[in-house]
Amino acid sequence: MNKIKKFVSNLLKDYFSEDDKKELIAILTTSLEEKVEDLVEAGTPVDEAIEKSIKEFGSTSDVLDAFSPKDSEYQKKMIRERKHGFLYSILGYFLIIGLALFFNLQFIAFFQHIYWFIVVAIGTLFWPGTMFFRYRIAKK
Amino acid sequence: MINSDIIRGNIDAIILKLLMEKDRYGYELANEIKSRTNDRFQIKEATLYSAVTRLESRELISSYVGEKSHGGQRRYYRITTFGKAYFAELMKDFCELREIMKAILGSDYHE
Repeated sequence: MNKIKKFVSNLLKDYFSEDDKKELIAILTTSLEEKVEDLVEAGTPVDEAIEKSIKEFGSTSDVLDAFSPKDSEYQKKMIRERKHGFLYSILGYFLIIGLALFFNLQFIAFFQHIYWFIVVAIGTLFWPGTMFFRYRIAKK
Repeated sequence: MINSDIIRGNIDAIILKLLMEKDRYGYELANEIKSRTNDRFQIKEATLYSAVTRLESRELISSYVGEKSHGGQRRYYRITTFGKAYFAELMKDFCELREIMKAILGSDYHE
């Protein structure tokens, strides 16, 4: 059955991210192995069943057929939306920091010369941080 | 044999329909399509299994490892609630497309 896994791995070697590839290889290999088992149960010799399964399976482009074009469109849209979300979060972050800085410095005597805006700046970093992380995931 | 673009455009609906009936494993889906269409709807298993993976990643179907009748294990797929809703949407689109084609093609259209 290593022959099947090798065949599937070779088929996908130049495509997909590492995580997606690993998952796809596992699923395609399982499905092919199930076919081999069915053929063997029906009386086909193991080697012949493996050969037949591999021969009938299809090519790399048949795999890619299942993912295009609707999915790539959906993915592009998601990447675009997340990029906009990330840029918006950067803008929002600087607006919040700007306001905090303004109030902090404007009323510095009232706040007993404590530069609390730094806490706000660090605390709100989670927002662009999260949005960047989501954007990276979508791109991947 | 039917055009491969048409096959690709409808593969989601076919997989979801077969899983609405009962949980099935990958090769069982391929066999079922083959036998129901008398080989007229030929789809490469590479495309079929990849489409199954894609549907699972979109949470339209889920999978579990089940026992075979005489030992061994198989990865079975089942349709999720999202999958059923998506299938209903696809059917709505399909009916609408059929009406549109009927209106445009007129007498050349055969049910």
